[in-house]
Parts: sequence; C-alpha cells; structure tokens
Amino acid sequence: MKANNIIAAAALCVAAVVPTFAQGTPEVPAGKALYEENCAVCHQFDGGGVPFMQPELIGSPRANGAKGGVIDMILFGSAAEGAGQGEFSNEMTSFDYLTNKEIAAIATYVRTNFKNDGGPVSDADVRSRRK
Amino acid sequence: MIAKIVGMSLLATSITTVVAADMEGVPDGTPADPQTGVALPAGFKATVFAEGVGPVRHIVAAENGWVYGALFRKKDVSGYDVNVGAVAMHDSDGDGVIDKTEYFAPDMQGTGIGVYDGYLYYGTDTAVMRWPLPAGGAPKGDATMIAVGFNKETQHATKNMTFDGKGGLYVNVGAPSNACMREMRKKGSPGMRPCPILEEYGGVWKFDAATPNQDQMKDGQRYATGIRNGIALSWNSHADSLYVAQHGRDQLASFFPDMFTNEQSAELPSEEFHKVAEGADLGWPYSYYNHEVGERMVMPEYGGDGKTVSDEGQKPLVGFPGHWAPNGLMFLKGDAMPAEYRKGAFIAFHGSWNRAPMPQQGYRVVYVPLDDDGNVAGDWITFANGFAGDGPIASPRDAKHRPMGLAEDASGAMYIASSMAGGRIWKITYEGE
Repeated sequence: MKANNIIAAAALCVAAVVPTFAQGTPEVPAGKALYEENCAVCHQFDGGGVPFMQPELIGSPRANGAKGGVIDMILFGSAAEGAGQGEFSNEMTSFDYLTNKEIAAIATYVRTNFKNDGGPVSDADVRSRRK
Repeated sequence: MIAKIVGMSLLATSITTVVAADMEGVPDGTPADPQTGVALPAGFKATVFAEGVGPVRHIVAAENGWVYGALFRKKDVSGYDVNVGAVAMHDSDGDGVIDKTEYFAPDMQGTGIGVYDGYLYYGTDTAVMRWPLPAGGAPKGDATMIAVGFNKETQHATKNMTFDGKGGLYVNVGAPSNACMREMRKKGSPGMRPCPILEEYGGVWKFDAATPNQDQMKDGQRYATGIRNGIALSWNSHADSLYVAQHGRDQLASFFPDMFTNEQSAELPSEEFHKVAEGADLGWPYSYYNHEVGERMVMPEYGGDGKTVSDEGQKPLVGFPGHWAPNGLMFLKGDAMPAEYRKGAFIAFHGSWNRAPMPQQGYRVVYVPLDDDGNVAGDWITFANGFAGDGPIASPRDAKHRPMGLAEDASGAMYIASSMAGGRIWKITYEGE
C-alpha cells in the first residue's frame, strides 16, 4: 500500500514534466480542468470555498484523510455526510454521472493541491466506492 | 384639483432633479478609511461600533438605546465559540463604540431581528419569536413563539422579517433551490412546472405580529411569491409598501455553457429590487431579469435560451449586476441624514461568490433614490464601500468584511453589520461637509 502510494506520487512528479502515466493513475492537468469545470463554481478556483456556504478545500481534513472521503463527496454530494450536518448552508449535488476516471482525476487534484497532501486515488478506488 | 395635480407633479420633478444632480456616492476604487475600513460620501463619518461580537447578521437599534444583532453560527472562522443566537450591545458613553454586551437566545442561531410595538423579535431558521423589549440589555425569560412550522432547511433558510406598522409581520421563506430543478444543482436537470417548492417556500408569508404559535401553512398568508430568497426585506413607511431585493439564481454558465459565457454568467441574472404589493409574483423560477436588456427572460431550465423574453413575473424597479447578494434593506425613518437620503432604499450587498473565474464583486452598500410614492427617482449610487479590502477579490474568503444587516437608531445614525472575521458593526453619522 505504502509502496503503491510512493510509486503513484513518483508518477505524478514525472507527470508534471512528461505527460506519461501509469495505468489508472489520473492525469493532473485533466484533474485541474475537470475541477474548474465542475467544482470551482462553488468551491472556488483557489479551493477557498465560501464562508458559511461551501467548505474550503485548502488544508481540508477530508482531502488529507482516507481516500474514500473525497470520492464519496463527489459521488454522493453532501448526502455523504448527512443533510444539515455541516456548518455550511448549501447542499452539494451528486456527480455520480462522471466516469470513474474523471472522478479519480478530480479527487487526485483536490488531494494533491490546495496545500493538501492526501495523495492520489485511482479509477479502481472510485469504482469500489460506488453503491 | 387640477392645480394640485400639476403642483404635485412639479414637486416630483424638482425632487428628482435635485436627487440626480446631488448624489455622487463613493466612486469605485476609493480607498477605505484606514481606521474604519470603510469609504463613505463626503460629510459622513464612521466608527467601528462593535468588533468581535460574533457572526452578526441582521441588526436593529431599539428605542431603549441598545442595538441587537442576530448571530448566524455558533462558531466561525475566527474561532468565536459562544452557543447563543443573539447579542445586545450598548454604547454608554456615546463615543460611537460599544462598552457593554449581553448575549441571549441560548442554543439558537438566526439572521432575523426586529423591534415592533414594544417587543423584540428574533428569527431562527424555523421560527419567529418575541420577548417584551427590556429597559436595556438582553431580554429576560423564554420567548413567545409567533410564527412556527417552517420546514428545517439549510439553503436560504433564514427567517428574516419586517413589519408594516399596522400589526402585520412579513417573513421571508427562501427557496431551498437554485432554479427548481428536478435534481438539486445538477447539470442538465430540468425545471419542474408547476414548481412545487412555491407552495411552502419562495415567497413572503404574512402573519399577525402579536398572535402566538401561528403555523406557516395553516395561519400564515402567502403575501407574495416567486422570490428565490428575500433576505433583504423591508417595509417602506414613506410609500406604505413592502420592498424586497431578491437573490438571482446561480451557475448559468456552468449549467448552460452553450448559452452563457463566463463573462455573461458573472453579470447575469440581475439581483432584483422590487416594490411588492399583496399577491405579487416576482417570477422565480420561471424567469430571471436581465438588466442589460431590461427584460425578464425565460429561465433556461424552463426552455429559455438566454434570448427569449418571458411574461412571467413582474419587472423589478432596479436590476443590479449578478450575484452581488442583497442581504440587507432599510428605509430611514428619521431626518438626521441629508434630505436626499431620507426616502430611498439602502441595500447591503454581501458580495458575490458566483462570478468566478471573473473577480468577485458587490461587497458594498448602495442607495436607490425613491420618491414619495416609492418609485425610482434617480440612479443608484454606492453609499459605503471598501469592506472587502484592497484589490480584486478572487474568492470570497479574501474579503475582509461583507455588508449584511442595516439599522437606524433614534438619533438617526445608521449601522452596518458584517458577520465576517468575528463580526463587526459600523456606526455612520452625518457630520456635514
């Protein structure tokens, strides 16, 4: 597990320079583009969120925690944590219509940017969280 | 009679001319006063009346000399952590800064607050209640529930209120929705017709201000509908009518990239300022207002293409640029402010989050000149600005402060509240030029 993470992280570092990817490892530029297309309208381009309305992703415990946390939020929306449980007013819709690959790319972007160090997730990680 | 009518119309014309010629407001880019963090027109002075009192939302200045504020969250980004829903504040020595605070409404959170007929009213997300207004400080004892039965929601859930001075209590019941889409904020999800949300939300409900335990659906009257979120809600006693500034829908470009560019989606739809008669329909979710063309347009979820004009919903008095988030509305009652400010509408714009990737905008208080009948009498101006801080705001978290509640005290001084950074309230007086 740990070795896999290191390999994936290494692949990511390489990806920044050379656009070559191990199978199932999300493409970072694609993750950024998908994030900006689907998520930034609410969570903002800098991941800063909106006070009281949408959570910030910068230094987010969820983005630095277990792989399933971010994946579940994307797959199930705010229903993943129970309606009305958070400190934030807006509800998040489910993005389950995105492909496993797309969700993995977004989750990886969130978990490895915005001062987060949660590490990448793979298509298979997303597939395993679908209900 | 004819002479009277002519006389009145002449008077109206001259007032309009005076207003238009005299009102300049605060030009964009004017630096804020470094002491107070706010920029005002010449002749006005601000003090930081309260600092760090909690995430204060709507405020009211009572006849007992205290200012009361509703608190929105138990805890906010600055670490404020008191489990109460309201604060009473007093400036004993008259230096423009509070020296006494008392907290009340334990285990509650709210936005709405008001004073009417010797009572202090408070609105959580699910109820409006009141206490007898004390001689000073926090009200004592349990509140009496006045309007109840509102569903528990998180989106647009604030139960802010206003009074008509004739026993009527008007409560905003915002729609927990963007455009009444079948699936909440999901790209491609169509709008529902009829929109079932309008039965219990998306309007203003009227209650008797004094009768306990009125249920929204059984006892309340849906006074006006088609209002996505009327958090900026106030009775204009000069024109004897309800007014509202409503929040337009979000995300035109992200849901309909073929119809709207990011630039268009930043400016549209308008934030709408309306005079609201009984039975009024403001159009949401079937239409939105485009201030650039001066028409209501068919909402894209209901077949609109960004160009098709809609006949559903009344046109607003003013359409402001998109996503500015009108969260406070006030009409002055006193005469301490210059004459041109006494009959119009002050609107506090909380500031946008939905204009990205364009810079965020709006974090200001504007003034709309109105005549005796409550009709627009000149171009709106920026009355107070600089709250967000210097430079473009890419993301709302970069905004230092965001204007929210507005109040006027017995001396005619104005107050502007911000719930950010632990909460701040400014007191504004007119000192003359």
